[in-house]
Parts: sequence; C-alpha cells; structure tokens
Amino acid sequence: MIAGPPPGRSDRMPPDADVIVIGAGPAGMSAAVELAAAGRSVIVLDMNAGPGGQVFRGLGENLAARPATDALLAALGPAYRAGERLVHAFVTAAGIDYRPSTTVWDLRSDGTVGWLRGADAGYIRGRQVLLATGAMERPVPFPGWTLPGVMTAGAVQTLIKAGRLQPEGRIVLAGTGPLILLLADQLRRLGVRPCLIARTDRLRDKVAALPRLRPRGLPALIKGLGWIARLRLAGIPVITGVTDLRAVGQDRVERISLRAGRRRIDLPCDLLIVHDGIVPATDLAHAAGIELAWAKAEAGWLPVTLTDGLAQAAPGPALTSGPCRIFISGDGRRIGGAEAAVAHGRMAAQAILSALRGGGAATGARLTFAEVRHSLVPRPFLDRAFPLGLAAGVPCDSTLVCRCEEITAGAIRAEIRKGARDINLLRATLRCGMGPCQGRNCATTVARLLAEAHPAATPAPFRARPPARPLPLGALARLTGADRALAEIVSLQDKPVMMPRAAEDTPDAQPRA
Amino acid sequence: MPSPVHDVLIVGGGLQGCAIALCLARAGKRAVVIEQQMAGRHASGVNAGGLRTLMRDLREYPLAMRARQIWGSLADHLGSAPAAATCEVRLGTGQIALAMDHAELDWAAARAADMQHRGIHTESLIGPGALHRLLPGLSKAALGGLITQGDGHANPAMAARAFRDAAEAAGATILENRTVQDLTPVTGGGWRAVTSAGDIGADQAVNAAGAWGGALAERLGETLPVSVLALSMMVTARIRPFVTPVVIGIDQPLSFKQTAAGSLVIGGGISGKPCLQDRTSFTIMERLAGSAAATVAAFPALANVPILRTWTGLEAATPDGVPYIGPSALHPGLWHVFGFCGHGFLLGPAVGEAVADALIHGTIDPMLRPFAPGRFAAGLAA
Repeated sequence: MIAGPPPGRSDRMPPDADVIVIGAGPAGMSAAVELAAAGRSVIVLDMNAGPGGQVFRGLGENLAARPATDALLAALGPAYRAGERLVHAFVTAAGIDYRPSTTVWDLRSDGTVGWLRGADAGYIRGRQVLLATGAMERPVPFPGWTLPGVMTAGAVQTLIKAGRLQPEGRIVLAGTGPLILLLADQLRRLGVRPCLIARTDRLRDKVAALPRLRPRGLPALIKGLGWIARLRLAGIPVITGVTDLRAVGQDRVERISLRAGRRRIDLPCDLLIVHDGIVPATDLAHAAGIELAWAKAEAGWLPVTLTDGLAQAAPGPALTSGPCRIFISGDGRRIGGAEAAVAHGRMAAQAILSALRGGGAATGARLTFAEVRHSLVPRPFLDRAFPLGLAAGVPCDSTLVCRCEEITAGAIRAEIRKGARDINLLRATLRCGMGPCQGRNCATTVARLLAEAHPAATPAPFRARPPARPLPLGALARLTGADRALAEIVSLQDKPVMMPRAAEDTPDAQPRA
Repeated sequence: MPSPVHDVLIVGGGLQGCAIALCLARAGKRAVVIEQQMAGRHASGVNAGGLRTLMRDLREYPLAMRARQIWGSLADHLGSAPAAATCEVRLGTGQIALAMDHAELDWAAARAADMQHRGIHTESLIGPGALHRLLPGLSKAALGGLITQGDGHANPAMAARAFRDAAEAAGATILENRTVQDLTPVTGGGWRAVTSAGDIGADQAVNAAGAWGGALAERLGETLPVSVLALSMMVTARIRPFVTPVVIGIDQPLSFKQTAAGSLVIGGGISGKPCLQDRTSFTIMERLAGSAAATVAAFPALANVPILRTWTGLEAATPDGVPYIGPSALHPGLWHVFGFCGHGFLLGPAVGEAVADALIHGTIDPMLRPFAPGRFAAGLAA
C-alpha cells in the first residue's frame, strides 16, 4: 500500500539569489566580483575557511599577519601574491553573500544546491549556479601510497599556506607536472632541502612538446626552467624518466625505491611527496547529472560544457526538469591554472548575466573570449611536456586502489575476470567507492582496470547518488529550505492491518518441514 | 517457430526470478532468466536487507517462516558455503518495532494479543526495561515495542548476486542486459519471447519482472494493478558496533540496522522518483529527512554520524500490500510473481521453492493462496 501523491515536477521555489557560486578560488571569486558589479545578488559557498581556493589559500590572513609571514610570502613567490588584488576585490565587493566553511553535498540542474555548515544543512536555489570547485590531484595508486608519510604536493602546499608549517626530515618529491617543481622551489626558499626530486617526465617529452610552444607560452617555460636551474644550483639532485615507484615501511614510510633507467634507487625517506598533475573535480557536476566525457590522455573525466561554461546535461532522465542552470568555470572545467581561471570566471559571469536577462549575446564576451584563449595558449605545450607519469599505467595487483575500504587492484581484477563489466557491480560486490571519499580517489582507477579488460567500452563513473559529501544524520533531520512539493512523502504503508479472526482466514503458522 | 528448448522462461533476474530458476535447475528443468539490466539491480539488490517476520502481514506469515528457515541454512540451499558467506546472513539478531508513544504502544499490545490468539508465538511484546537493555543509546522516550528473536538481516546486493550465481551454477541460463521485446503464447502451448538475445521458446513463462511486472501483464492483456516506487535507503559511515537487532518503526518512518561492515542502513519505506521507462530512479533527500529525524529521535547520539550515500531501486506495490504469486487468470502456462511491496527480500527463497514446485508438479501450495493474481478482478480485494 502506498500513501502520498505521485512524484512530479515541483512548483518552483523562489530563488535565494540570482547566482550561487560554489567555490571561492580564482574562477569563483572573479565571477562573483563581475556578477556583483552588474548588480546581481550572489551567494558564494566555500568549503574553505577563507577565500582563495587552493592557489591563493590563506593569502588574506598571511598578508594581514606580516611581518611575521614575510619569509613565508617570499618563499611562496609572486604567483601567490598575484592573488592579492582579486581577493581584496572579492572581500570588499557589495552584494556578495560569502559563506565560508560550507560544504556542498547536493546539486541539481535546476539550480538547487544542498549545503552543510557545521551541524546545519539545507537547500538553497539560484536562478543560475556557477560551479567553480577547481581541480583535484590526479589519484596515483602505487605500492605503499597509503602509508603515513606519503603526501601529495597539494596537501603539503595546504600545510605551508594555511598551517604555516614546513616539512622536516628526509624528503623525496616524486612525479611530474609544474607543481612539483614549484613546490620544490618553495621548499628550497623555506630552507628545506629535499634529498631527491624524482621526475617521471623526460627531456624527450620537452623536445616533443617544443613544436606546441607559442610566444605566449614562453613565460611559463622560462618560469619552469628557472625553478629547475635554482634547484640544480642549490645542489638538489633532480632525476628524470623515473618508473616503478614504491614506498616501503612498517607503520609509516621508511624508504622509497624507484627505477631510473637501468638503475634501481633505494633511499631512506621520512616524507614522500607525490604529484601527477591535476584533473577537474567532477563530483558535483556528476551529482547534478552533467555529462562527463572520458579523456584517455588525462586518465579521467571532463565535464561537457560550452566554451562559456554552460554545462550540458547528460542524456536520459533527471530528477528535475527544465533547462540546465549550471555553468562550470576554472580548473573544474579545463585545467588552465589561476590566470586562465580568472579570465574564464569573467567570461562565465558574462554568459550568466546574459542568461539572467533571458538570453542574447553577452556584452564584452568577445573580449573575454580572447583573454581565455590567450590564457590557455601554454596548455598544449605543458600537457605534452608533462605526460601522465605515476598514473601512466594501471597499478599492479598488490596495490590498494580504494583506500577507504582497502581494496586492491588484484581483488578488482579478480572480480572483472569473474565477469563483472559494470563499475557499479564492482562497487556493490567489493565496496570499492563506498567509503567516505565516495569514490573520488578510486573511480578513475577502477574504470581503467575495467578498460584494461574491456578496451572497447567507454569508462563510466560510479552512479552518483546524493549526498556527494558526508552529511550528518542530525543535519539532514533538521533540513531547511526543502521544496514542499518535492518533499511530500511517498511511502509504503507497511503497518499491517489487524484482520478479523475468522476460522477460515487463520493462516497455518507452521513452517513446512 | 522455434520448438521450446527451455522448460521455463523467466522474465526478470531479481531475487525472485533467480530463486525460482535455482530450484527449477536443481530439479533438472531447463530454466532461462532474461534480465534487462544487471541481476538484482533494483529492489532485490537495493533494499534494506531485513530478514523480518516481525509485523508482517498475516497472509505472508507461513511463507515468511519457511523463508526464514531457508535463509538459516543458506549454504545448503545455494550449494556453496563461500557463496552463502558473502550474503552476510545474521539471523537471531532479532527485530524490534519501537513504540515511541502511547498510540503505538496500544497498537503493539493489540497486535501481540492478536498473534497469540492465532497461535503465532514468535512475535511478542517487550517492556521498557528489556528494550533499553537491548538497545543502548535508545531515547528515554521509547516506551516498549514488539520483538521477534529469530529475525535478522543480510546483505541484499550480495544475496541477489549469490542467488543469480547459484542458479547459473545449477544449470540455469542467465541472460543479463537483454530485453524482452515481445512475449507471446504459442498456439498449441508454450511461450515464445523475442529478445535482444534472439528468440527463446519455453513450455512455461514466469513474469518476475518486479517494477515492470504490471506493464508486462498489461501487454499480455491482464490488468494487475501496481504502483511503482523508488524505495530509498541511506547508508552511514562505519561506526563501532553498537546495535545488534534491526529496529523498525510502527508509525514512524524508521528502519535501521548495523551491517556486517559497521555502517548503518536506514530505510523507512520512503520513495524517491521512479523512472520506469528509463529503468532508473532518483533519491530525493528532502523526503529522507523524515527518516533521519525518526532515527535521531530514537537514538540521539547518532546525530553526528555522517550519511555517505543513498540507494534507490524500483519496486512495485499492489493495492493490498501483498504480492502477486500465482498462475495467470488469462493465459495457461504463465505465472505472475511480482509486486512484493518492499518486503519480498525475506520471502525470495521460499517463493522460489514454492513456485518451482508448482511449475514442475502443477499443484499449488496452499501458502500461495492469498496471492492469487486474479484477486482484484474477481472483486476479492482485501
């Protein structure tokens, strides 16, 4: 028996703001400033305690704490200080309702956003939503990657910028991408000397990338060469073409082992910092039913959007009806770095303003489009110069793939050999992707293990179900902002009816032998 | 026209379809299961996993007791101890229906008295003292409730898979990701299915299509009313073992248990948005707020436990709250086995046994009498 009305399209709730921006990094801040300047109401939801995102994390506080932070600011260099004007414009703009320490756990294509702050949760609605949640480091499972003492470059930067901490002991950096060189240089300036920088990329990658170099890409190249030159001058060993990285230790990393050419190098190590480039964080886009396209060269998915950031709903059914009201900007759309994110944030803001006016060409769109294009000029060179390193191949059988539930690549391969072809079946039978990270760290690897056995199939992510982030029961129990029409309960009425006790309908309660 | 190569063609690879196929294959019958997605994709694999006779509809009681016996010796039934172990069957943890107010307590007392009168002694009233001893952390507001000691729970996703695999191992053919485009009776007896895996002929057919069962019956000219629901469950992070029995509500949307893995599975029979045509469904978190509130009201200390994910799968519910299990009133050689109203998980193994038995021998177990598919057409609605 059932009670309640059939679920249908809910009546539209009044919007809480013209635009809800998710994320206060370069793209989110830049778009919010632009939207507020045009007189639109903007709510910015930020998971962090203050604006800046990953790249400008803690910048406001670190500037305010001078001179105590002078050395830190000098070490982090001009790329970090470059965010000063943007952060200032963001915090002083009128019309931006900034909500820090707020996690987004649900997103729907009609502009509904589920938020959590402390013990409180609710839904709010924007006439448009800008998803500017940036990138995550590409997950790189290798033997020993879950040992304490193995960290990603991004995590170390977080500790430096927001915690004003610096690592100690015998440090090895391994992997590829500009960030690893930038971090090594920042550490050097802080007086921390890594024992080794073990790069998976090779000189021949740079040579192969040269034809893609454009004049506008030169500053990036010069910056990179500068980092390498200073590291070499400081006598920090840098090797390239590294493969077969392993972290070894009992309760924490004690040493690392890797192959460089024909040599196997074993080194004692207290902190192994790994990095293999960054990929768009697609979890919220996926939750909202945005189409994701598998990018083999990236070993990950990219959200499908128009150039201005307007997201495209995946074909098939959706929870909510109507046009997609979600735009995606910054590294969450395409990896381009802070400058590109700022330019694209402005472009997306103009497209959103145009959508709020009911369509039509965005004023000044052509100008920002040129800026966006210019900001992305160095990318083809960088992508070729720093190909996938630690994540180039799929991990060996003994490597953990899902760290939340401790599932190895071997266990996943065994299930695939038994006939599993569906990533959701693997989740159901092995629990990979069921832990607190909700598959953010293992989905690409599990998908690639499936692709290893079935190369013809396009890798698909785990089916997305809310909440996209952990949501305390108590917060859901007191949920605010629910859409009444949608919230009306449809349920089984499972309580049995007391039946009249007549002789003929008394069932035989004895089980059969 | 292909001559029947199978004895029984089963549409739907859920727990019921696979349980029937398993028993048929064991008896030497050639059974084929055609599943449009993955076996157990919907209500069979995506339910709360309760092995519950507590507060069960009396019409289902005999079948439920038999089913509980089979779950208790699952290794024998599946023919594999390792496969049975994956199902994480925990019988004897008990199930408790909480009375949080006097109206619920009065109802519980009346139900207990009624069951005693009927000679069913597995379900009894529990007082506040014993209740609070069994459920540490339970809100002081809880007044008592009903308990069945022999009930428990299992892992539905793994169990649906285990029945599928066992049926296959016993000799049944399981075709997944194959759709039935047409199912027609053959003149002179037997059935023919046009499927994406080619034409399949069989002497008898079973509609075990779950949420799609009503639509399939309709296509065959038989109206068996159902509503389609997207039953949704919440799953929390793993926490220290703290509760052994399964706890359900009487009037509250409450149903929770701690799984073998340590996470809490919280249900309550709440539906999300079903999309039958697209074979999927959506969780609606606004609706699950009530379930979360009922859980926190009963166990205040759970307020900080995070929900990590939700499940939803499609299920059909009949107008009188019990399934359709029986031969078609219209077509000879066709059985309907669907519409389990969100509580078919426990019943599955016994349904498989009874239906396979009937298909083989042509006699229908009296346990199945209340579930005759024609009961609404004949004006016998409860």
